[in-house]
Amino acid sequence: MSLKFLVVDDSVTMRRIVINSLRNLSYDNFVEAGDGKEALDKLLADQTINFVITDWNMPNVSGLELVKSIRGNDSLSKLSILMVTTRGVKEDIIEALNAKVNNYIVKPFTPQILKEKIDQIINPT
Amino acid sequence: MKHVSNMTELFDRLNELKVVFRYSEKLIPIIQNLMDFMKDTVPLLEDINSSLVESTSKIPKANDQISNISSATELATTEILDIVDAISIDMDKIEKSVNLIKLKEVEKITIWQKIKEKIPSEPSSDELIRQFEALEGFLPFIPGMMEIFQKVKNDVYNITLSLQVQDITSQQLAAVNHLIESVRTSLASLMLHLDDSEIKSFDNFYNDLPKGGTFDPNAEFTRSTERQDAADILISSMNNKTSQDEIDKLFS
Repeated sequence: MSLKFLVVDDSVTMRRIVINSLRNLSYDNFVEAGDGKEALDKLLADQTINFVITDWNMPNVSGLELVKSIRGNDSLSKLSILMVTTRGVKEDIIEALNAKVNNYIVKPFTPQILKEKIDQIINPT
Repeated sequence: MKHVSNMTELFDRLNELKVVFRYSEKLIPIIQNLMDFMKDTVPLLEDINSSLVESTSKIPKANDQISNISSATELATTEILDIVDAISIDMDKIEKSVNLIKLKEVEKITIWQKIKEKIPSEPSSDELIRQFEALEGFLPFIPGMMEIFQKVKNDVYNITLSLQVQDITSQQLAAVNHLIESVRTSLASLMLHLDDSEIKSFDNFYNDLPKGGTFDPNAEFTRSTERQDAADILISSMNNKTSQDEIDKLFS
């Protein structure tokens, strides 16, 4: 399966780290966005994106709001979404899962965890 | 009769006045003490007021310094990432060159074998062949070099991963800024009875603060996988694979 990633994070550093990690996993097709609003615009403009990796805490439109918007939009609702965030408390994880993220990573992440979560999403058992 | 009655009333009033005077006599030292206390307290209150003004005036500076730290660390992190990326690109180039050298070495050995077969056997040429073959080529060193390349590449990548600390600390600093903002708000409410120009002068500084929700006050940088493990268990539980007790234990 050919994956085109949208990496959403307000931190330039984190976007670069996620993209470097994806490159290390031999993926080479990425788009970036600095917040949920920019991400939605890019998703609506580019229907070839099929995997979203998003932070939670962002200005304008948060990661959680982005997930809800994606799931509520008929043309985007089937996208794979992996949330990568510092928020590790139970209530937050439940809220994200209820919003229908496919999987959840607590920062700081390791490349193994990133690979494992992407694999779980694209090859669900 | 009316005259007697008036006199009686006058004495009654005088008695009442006497009681008041006696009571006042007792009250005067208390009032004096109260006056003394107020004399002592007023400078203290003035000190408190001036401290509040001074403390409040320092808050924007503290806020700016925290913002500067965030910007400086982000800039430094970006520079490190640029250097790390450049090293990775150079390492890839070197790796490709080494792989090419390896191919050429194998080719050279194959050709040498053919040349050797064509050289007539005689003591002088045999000795030269022996000396030539005793010289080691690059080939034996290549596996070790490739191993070192891989290690350097992994180390470089691990530097990249460690830079996640910048995102996490910037969120922690943003949380500290909000804490400072709430202290400033409390101080401002205490200063309401002072000259309100002291408060108005900080109005613009609010606009530069990160908005709530753009940071996580509980962000932490840790090598422990505890939080991810807890998240994984919770995700499993949402798919009915884990018990509630197990989840509560992990998040307690």
